[in-house]
Amino acid sequence: MRGGTSATLHEEESLGKAYDARLIRRIWPYLRPYRGQVFLALLILVLVAAAQLAQPYLIKIAIDEHITPGQLEGLAAVAGMFFIALLAEFLLRYAQFYVMERTGQNVVYDIRTAVFGHLQRLPAKFFDKNPVGRLMTRVTSDVEALNEAFTSGLVMILADLVKLVGIVAILLWMDWRMALITFAILPVMLVVTWQFRSRVRSAYRRVRGVVAKLNAFLQESVSGMRLVQLFGREKANAELFEGVNGEHLGAQLKGVRYDSSFSAVAEMIGSITLAAIVWAGGGRILQGSITFGTLVAFIDYAEKFFRPVQELSQRYTTMQAAMASAERLFKLLDTEPTIVTPDSPKSLPRPMRGRVGFDGVTFGYDPEQPVLHDVSFAIEPGQKIGVVGWTGSGKSTLIRLLTRLYDIQQGSITLDGVDVRELDLEELRRSVGVVLQDHFLFAGTLEYNVSLGDPRITPERVREAARAVRADRFVERLPKGWDEEVRERGSNFSMGERQLLSFARALAFDPAVLVLDEATASVDPETEHHIQEALETLMQGRTSIVIAHRLSTIRDADRILVLHQGQLVESGTHDELVEVQGGIYRTLHRLQTASVA
Amino acid sequence: MLSRFWQLGKPYKWAFLAGFAFLLLTNGLNLWIPWLLRDAVDAMESGEPLSTVARLAMAMIGIALAQAVVRTISRLLVLGASRKVAYDLRNTFFAQLQRLGASFYDRNRTGDLMSRGVNDIQIIQSFYGPGMLNSLNTTIVYVAVLILLFRIDVGLTLISLTFYPVLLFVVNRLARHTYSRSVAVQEQLGEISSRAQENLSGIQQVKTYVQEAREIQVFSQLCDEFRTRNLALARTRGSMISVMGIASGAATLIVMFAGGQRVIAGSISLGDFVAFNAYVAMLAWPTIALGWIINVFQRGAGAMRRVDELLNEQPDLPVAAEQGAQPGFVEGDIEIRDLTWSHPADEGSEPARPALRNLNLTIPRGSRYALVGPVGSGKSTLADLLARVYPVEPGKILIGGRDINDIPVDVLRRSVGYVPQEAFLFSQSIRDNIALRDPDASDEVVARAVTAAHLDGDLAKFPQGLETVVGERGFTLSGGQRQRTTLARALVGTPPLLILDDTLSAVDADTEKAILEELMQASQDRTCLLISHRLSTLSGADRVIVLDEGSIVDQGSHEELVQREGLYSRLFVRQQLEQRLDVR
Repeated sequence: MRGGTSATLHEEESLGKAYDARLIRRIWPYLRPYRGQVFLALLILVLVAAAQLAQPYLIKIAIDEHITPGQLEGLAAVAGMFFIALLAEFLLRYAQFYVMERTGQNVVYDIRTAVFGHLQRLPAKFFDKNPVGRLMTRVTSDVEALNEAFTSGLVMILADLVKLVGIVAILLWMDWRMALITFAILPVMLVVTWQFRSRVRSAYRRVRGVVAKLNAFLQESVSGMRLVQLFGREKANAELFEGVNGEHLGAQLKGVRYDSSFSAVAEMIGSITLAAIVWAGGGRILQGSITFGTLVAFIDYAEKFFRPVQELSQRYTTMQAAMASAERLFKLLDTEPTIVTPDSPKSLPRPMRGRVGFDGVTFGYDPEQPVLHDVSFAIEPGQKIGVVGWTGSGKSTLIRLLTRLYDIQQGSITLDGVDVRELDLEELRRSVGVVLQDHFLFAGTLEYNVSLGDPRITPERVREAARAVRADRFVERLPKGWDEEVRERGSNFSMGERQLLSFARALAFDPAVLVLDEATASVDPETEHHIQEALETLMQGRTSIVIAHRLSTIRDADRILVLHQGQLVESGTHDELVEVQGGIYRTLHRLQTASVA
Repeated sequence: MLSRFWQLGKPYKWAFLAGFAFLLLTNGLNLWIPWLLRDAVDAMESGEPLSTVARLAMAMIGIALAQAVVRTISRLLVLGASRKVAYDLRNTFFAQLQRLGASFYDRNRTGDLMSRGVNDIQIIQSFYGPGMLNSLNTTIVYVAVLILLFRIDVGLTLISLTFYPVLLFVVNRLARHTYSRSVAVQEQLGEISSRAQENLSGIQQVKTYVQEAREIQVFSQLCDEFRTRNLALARTRGSMISVMGIASGAATLIVMFAGGQRVIAGSISLGDFVAFNAYVAMLAWPTIALGWIINVFQRGAGAMRRVDELLNEQPDLPVAAEQGAQPGFVEGDIEIRDLTWSHPADEGSEPARPALRNLNLTIPRGSRYALVGPVGSGKSTLADLLARVYPVEPGKILIGGRDINDIPVDVLRRSVGYVPQEAFLFSQSIRDNIALRDPDASDEVVARAVTAAHLDGDLAKFPQGLETVVGERGFTLSGGQRQRTTLARALVGTPPLLILDDTLSAVDADTEKAILEELMQASQDRTCLLISHRLSTLSGADRVIVLDEGSIVDQGSHEELVQREGLYSRLFVRQQLEQRLDVR
């Protein structure tokens, strides 16, 4: 854990410059289903602006027609109209707020589930490269940032725009010369905004990058806390965390600098405009070319004009954060799932025969470093095959290839004569029963973990399968029995208990092809004996591939395949292989018998 | 909780106070402008020359420039301090996570803890930054505007603000809803985050067992609930904003009506009217902002409650760092005296299911003991307790005559090389993973551990050898390689007690045998406790302890146990038969 290693690992991939318009175009399809609501909100928005902009004009009428001439009559009517405008403004504003919020929540729901769904389709390789913490940032914070952008960014900007256009029109109509003086300062505003734009953007992009890094570090630390403590790493780990946290602080402070000065400058420009109105207006009043009412209305409108401009910085920040998040989200959504069902998948014969073929298979997690070289073998239906080899010989990889978690680089893998790449992915994975090395449990009840929600697996079948592998004993001792909930990935059950459950699961599904990966490694001999018996029954009449370390498990296999450094070096029955002079199997066998005798 | 807010802000009190002082100044300047406006309008009405108006306009520009500078400084100070508070809190949070033991992590999900550490602290930051800034700003504006309004016309001020008390009442009511609904939203976000974390960590299994559709369905349900809760929150927030807006608009209405009458009656000037109007308009924004501020405060309080809850969690074990570093090892016989132990999560559950029952055992220094027994018999629990992963009552476990509770934690941790069942590696280089206990371990020490764990052959094949980063760029280690890495990790620092919990289950038998034999020969002084399901690896042990349902059912040397009728001999006979069949 020295210095920079963790820093480089969690570093966010740098993102290229992107135009906001392009991102907005990508967000549009998510808005489309709700365009009715969006247009409704926009319509209400225009009405809100109208109601709001009517108010200063009503004050102008009050001053010019009633207060200055001393005409009390009719002032009540103007006040009444003002009240109506006011009430309308805020009732409509509520409606608009709620419609927008609902649309935003719907869009965010769609995007979040789309991102999550997309993640489910991405190949295992993708997850080897992307730490879980980083991906969680996508699903939580990044989607939330988009929501912010939608509800308090985009729509508010539109609302502000409508208002600004309205004010410009009214001011020009009331007195175009004074209006021009009022707007004279706008170019300055635009230059300032432009200057801040790119800086704020890069500052916030950095913040989000560091946040992802912080998340990744936190996630791994929490998952591995037991080891951190057992090995007395608390202090060093805290230092690493403070480093990442400090980086986060630095990025934040930079954002704060731009933020603070921008809004202050915007406020200043507003006040200067007020001064300009007073100066120019004063002269025109003395000339008698405008009324006091117009002057007051100008001041009111200018105030209403600069309020949104001032908030622009905050909206801009929100939008920047959202754009940075959108870039990441779309980048993720653009990651093509490389392992997918082909357009017109072939189907497996029904009932399946269970023939498995590997033909000239070459594969490496990194294509430059193959872990399997030109491996070929065929397994006939109903055969029991054992795969042995030293650690790291590529045995476990075989399973990941058969279930197409990874695609091979050369050769072909077939199931009942059909290339696995031509099959429906779900059908393929459902057809192969797998018991993996790490016995993962899904959130849900124990019963769910055996049936996996498949309606064909009845509660009776679950119990029957559990009895066959002796998993019923521990389950029935639990307070809630089969309804016991699984905590985080099954951490409330021991490895052995989890293993028994995964056996029960494999048995319940009754697959044509069964694959066991080092499955009997961590069960005590007594339990293992029961499992051995259950497995004999389980393997009856179906193709079985057993990857085991104890040769006794596969002694009676129809054929044993010996892998060495990614190559298939020996193949035959136990009796044949023990006779091969200098053979790997013979060596393994000798070592194992010697160790017990 | 309130004290936590205070405590966190305290180190930055000067930054906050200076920020507030500047804020006061900036508001003072801001409020000056309508006053100048009033003078300008009165000057125009009384027909004074344009130069008077121009002078007033120039003054306004000067104030605007000064205000921009002061405003920037105040924001920098307060917002900057809020970021630093969040930084501190994050460090405290992380330090607390490191203080808490295994039983805490059994109870809490990773995703939820992360949500607290990331999202909740973010919200607390908003409390200290924009929250404090705007609430103070609002207060200052309110007080100052009220004073100025009273100076212009006491009566007009009183009637134009009639709505405000009603407003306060309504806002107060709505605020309570905002709070509970914000908490509900945050809790649901925690759920979503937990679920995503579990799913992504087990993605291979999800794919292998074709669980994608169900995972998506469950996740969608959580998102749906999140949407519902957010909309409930939006309704309260929406009504709050509307109520505020109407109240402040109503004030303008009254000024227009009642103020207009006063101008006509001549009791106030037109300039007063304009200034009055401008000041009342100034109240509008802080009043609308009030709703937002309350929201930030309520969310902040909700988030703080969740963070505080975690920070108040008491570790059930002493924390090494708090005991002070102590040198040396603890060595000697291990004594276990009448130990009965239940998992903290199972306490109070019916029927009671202690993981260990009335255990008595002495493991002499330098001996090699083996633990065998069926699944759930308590083997791993005993290993956990010897490494003090969970608390144990006093007088139950003694090492070298000292109660395990009296041994400083860091000494114990240094003395026990414990390799838990799950082979967890950090996404760092293999070297960093092995030198976990001592990052400054020399290359020689690391190399010795690597050789002892038979990892050298594998390393030679890795792209960057020891510097290969685990889990990166598609580089995955096999189960056996992971296990041997964790073994090498335990060997660094040569702990006098080594506990291997089924550490080499994914390693082939001959390699396991070789590794263990070499380990035993290498250090005669080291006490070893082996848990294994392979009886073949246990024949070299000095004594074998047979556990069943948390109790010792038999013990003795391998030979003794084989002779005696019992669980072990049954298992052994079966293995022998298998072997004979094997050999023919």
